[in-house]
Formats: sequence, C-alpha cells, structure tokens
Amino acid sequence: MSNGLDLGLRAQAAAIAAGDVDPGELLEATLTRIEERNPALNAVIETFPERSREMLAAAPEGPLYGVPIVIKDEWPLPWRAQRFGAAELMVPTAPAESGPYRALRDAGAVIVGVGNMHELGAGSTGNTSVYGPARNPWNTERCPGGSSSGPAASVAGRLVAGAVGADGLGSVRFPAAYCGLTGLKPTFGRSAMDGHHMAPVTTLIVSGPLCADAGDCRLLGSVLYGEKLAAGETTGLRIGVVRDTVSEDVTPEVAEACDAAVEALRAETGGEVREVELPGLDPATLAAILIINSESMAGTTPERLNKLNPELSPLARGSLKYRMLLPAAATTQATRVRTLMRRRLAALFSEVDVIAWPTIPAPAPPLDAPMVELPSGTTTADQANVRGAALANLTGIPSISMPVGLSDEGLPIALQLQGAWGTDELLLDVAEALERANERRWVESLPPLAETSPTEA
Amino acid sequence: METVNPADDFIPAGLASLGIEADEIDLAVMAAFHQLLWPPLLELLALDTEGLEVERCPDLSKAPQ
Repeated sequence: MSNGLDLGLRAQAAAIAAGDVDPGELLEATLTRIEERNPALNAVIETFPERSREMLAAAPEGPLYGVPIVIKDEWPLPWRAQRFGAAELMVPTAPAESGPYRALRDAGAVIVGVGNMHELGAGSTGNTSVYGPARNPWNTERCPGGSSSGPAASVAGRLVAGAVGADGLGSVRFPAAYCGLTGLKPTFGRSAMDGHHMAPVTTLIVSGPLCADAGDCRLLGSVLYGEKLAAGETTGLRIGVVRDTVSEDVTPEVAEACDAAVEALRAETGGEVREVELPGLDPATLAAILIINSESMAGTTPERLNKLNPELSPLARGSLKYRMLLPAAATTQATRVRTLMRRRLAALFSEVDVIAWPTIPAPAPPLDAPMVELPSGTTTADQANVRGAALANLTGIPSISMPVGLSDEGLPIALQLQGAWGTDELLLDVAEALERANERRWVESLPPLAETSPTEA
Repeated sequence: METVNPADDFIPAGLASLGIEADEIDLAVMAAFHQLLWPPLLELLALDTEGLEVERCPDLSKAPQ
C-alpha cells in the first residue's frame, strides 16, 4: 500500500476512500515530509501532530476524509490564534473556530500545519514575515509570492496536496503564479470567511484554495464554499483580452506564454478571442488599495500606533502610520470607482465569458531584492503585480490563476482568467480546458526540490 | 506626473494633528509611500464621477443592479 504522499488532492481523497491509502500512514508521512523539506522552504511555521492525529481520529467520512491540508496564518484554529505573519495585529485575536477550519473539519480533512504569509497580508512577494520569509520551491532564492506564501510553497514543494489561502488584493493568485500552482479567488462572499479578524469589515478578502490543478481546486473549493462546484461546458468560449498595461507591460516571455495559452484555450473550446476595452484599471487598483487600507485600519487609534511592537518591520510600521493620514474623501471616491468598474464589467461580461491577462508581469523576483524589469522600466514587484489583481477584489468577481509555462530561468509563468459574478465553476471548467490543451504539461511540472525525497525511499 | 516632495508638510502636519509619533525610519517609509500613492490619489480625486449613481451597500457577490 502506497502512503499516497505524492498524489494530488483528489487522488489522495479517492485513494483513501477506496482503501488504497491508509490515512494514518498518510498523515505520518506528511509530517515527516514537512520535517524534511520545510527547512529549505519555511512554508509551514507550525505543526501540531497531536492535534492533527485527533482531527483524523474524529474525522467524518467527508469529501476530504484523511487528506492533510495546510491553512494560512490568517485564521484562528481552536488551539492557536492567527498571527497574520506579524509580530502583532491591530486587533486582538484568540484561538477559535473559523469558517475555513469548520469547513475542513466537517469535510474530514486533517490540518497538518499553519502556512507562513507576508507580514499583515501586505505584500505580493512573501519576502517579509515575522517567521522569516517562505521560499519558492522552484528556486529558494526567489519569492514564493504573497501574501499566501506558505500555503503556496507547501503545495508546490509537495508537502501537502492542498492549502487554504486568502485573497484581498491578489494574495492567492500571486503565490499560485510564482509557485506554478492553480489558485482560485472566489466571488466575494461565496467561500468561508467567518472567524477572520477582518470578516466584519472587509469587502475584498475571500478564502481560496491553492492546489496543483483546477480539479483539486474544485474539490477544496467545494469544501470552502459549502456547495459542490459542478463541472460544466466550455464549448464556444468567448475570451476577452484587454490590450492595456496589464497585458502589455510584461516581460516578453510572459507575454508569449500567455498569448499562446489564450490561443490554445480558444482552439480547445472552439471559441473566439475578442479584444475588449476596459478603461479605468489604474484608478480601480488605487481604489481597491484605499478601501482595504481603510478597512484594515478600522478601530486603530493614534495611541495604538504609538505603541507598535518593535518587531514589526519598518515597512509595516511606516505603512500603518501613513494609512492613518489618507483622506476620507479619497476612500469615498474609491467607492464611486467601485460602482463604475462593476458596471463596466457587467457590460463587458455580456460580450465575453472570461477576461484573460497575465497574473504576474514577470516571474518570481529575488527574495532579497523583489524588483522586476518590465518594458516600462524597473519597478517593485508589489507595484507591478497589484495592477493585474485588484480589479477582482474591488468588484467582487471571481478569478483564477493557472500555470502556462516556465521562464528561461525555470520559473513559473501564469495566466489569470476573470469571470462574471458567480461564475467560479466556469473558471474551473476553463482552467481544466486549458490543462487539456496543454496536455497537463504545466500543472504536472515539479520543482527540483519536490522531485525526490528520503520519504519515498 | 508631478513629483511630490517627500519633505512637504503633509506627513509631519498629519502626524502632529493626530498625535502620532514617528522616528526617522518611519518618516522615510511614509515619504516613500507618499511619493508612490499621492499623485495617483490626486488623480483619483479629480476623476469626474458626477452623475454616477453610486451603489448603496452593493452586494459584491452579484452583478450591479
């Protein structure tokens, strides 16, 4: 009997259900794998073997019965408060059940560890964390992406087959893209969010799955959504492409791989590609930043800012103080831009089924200098990444990132697809169609670090 | 795009009015954020959205009405 360690998520679940894999052996093998590989990745910042064994012992025979999962340091667990990758949060936290925890538990899953993340969720690279940065399994000197850095590195390094992240401004999609995974940002409100310290105020953040492929995201997503994400048809898919900064200010190899993926998708679905206009992406990005800034500062006082933990990074300290100064009028204007972009998208989605552009304009940059060189010049990865991601959070639409190639340096390249509100299932269908078109080449590519391990011996 | 002088009054005046303390590192980080965000923020404020009927308490899980 195989221990099932290197199977994908749905294969693990199916093998356990069929009696081909013993879930106890899988759990122990997973814990051993984390011990072996995590020192190079810093993806998992805490394990709790006894809690995991207790979860397995009490697990119902749900769709993820016995399957090990990593959850981001963004939700509380009954035995651990979230730290949000930071020395302190602006709000008090305590151990508790959260929506994602309950969803996983009720599906029979076993939480084996907490995934590292970018400090306070405030970065697309994952290079800053109170635990030290997580590292990209494709090249451990490169950024894993953020803010769900640890969940992504855990899956890409095949520590586990599925992980739960969160996406407020691209935080599932960036690490999925940097680590060569599929990551789903659900329609706002569809996936479990309660228990998150910002759940009462956020209008942007959602939980989302990070897995090797779309089928695994469908399974883990169904658990997080609390409903089956049924498969459907993609025949005659209408693909919209926007000729703007998001698709043009990208490296040549990103442009080439994404263009090829769009064409492969068109051919696979017998569909069509249309160039469409979507003005206002720059103000939309700033609007999303302003709204998440104001929501994240809810309840913060000047007195609180004068007593910040000295272990917070200088960037976080300065950022928190600067956010307090942003004028309310700008946030009000941001809500107007939100309306404007939602109406524009609603009109656009009467013409096309999905909008496609690169998830990231350049592959993962170095951890110690997260800058990217684009046709427009050299800029920070954060600045470049957010402009392709914020629209989905601002407007509430779903979005998915999937791998579509490797750069000359052997780093993943990713395409992002966005659909109308509630079309999360369609995005999974489309991602699966693209996998078929590529003969699953990219979703089955493994980073060198994940190819062999003493665990298999 | 007009360059913003990080040494302008916005940051020190804002901090002083709210009673927020900041050291040199805080100020340098804030200046960098200001340089990055302020010009597009002014552009955002200048956007003509007159006549736009803003969604009140939008249901972000659905298309706008």
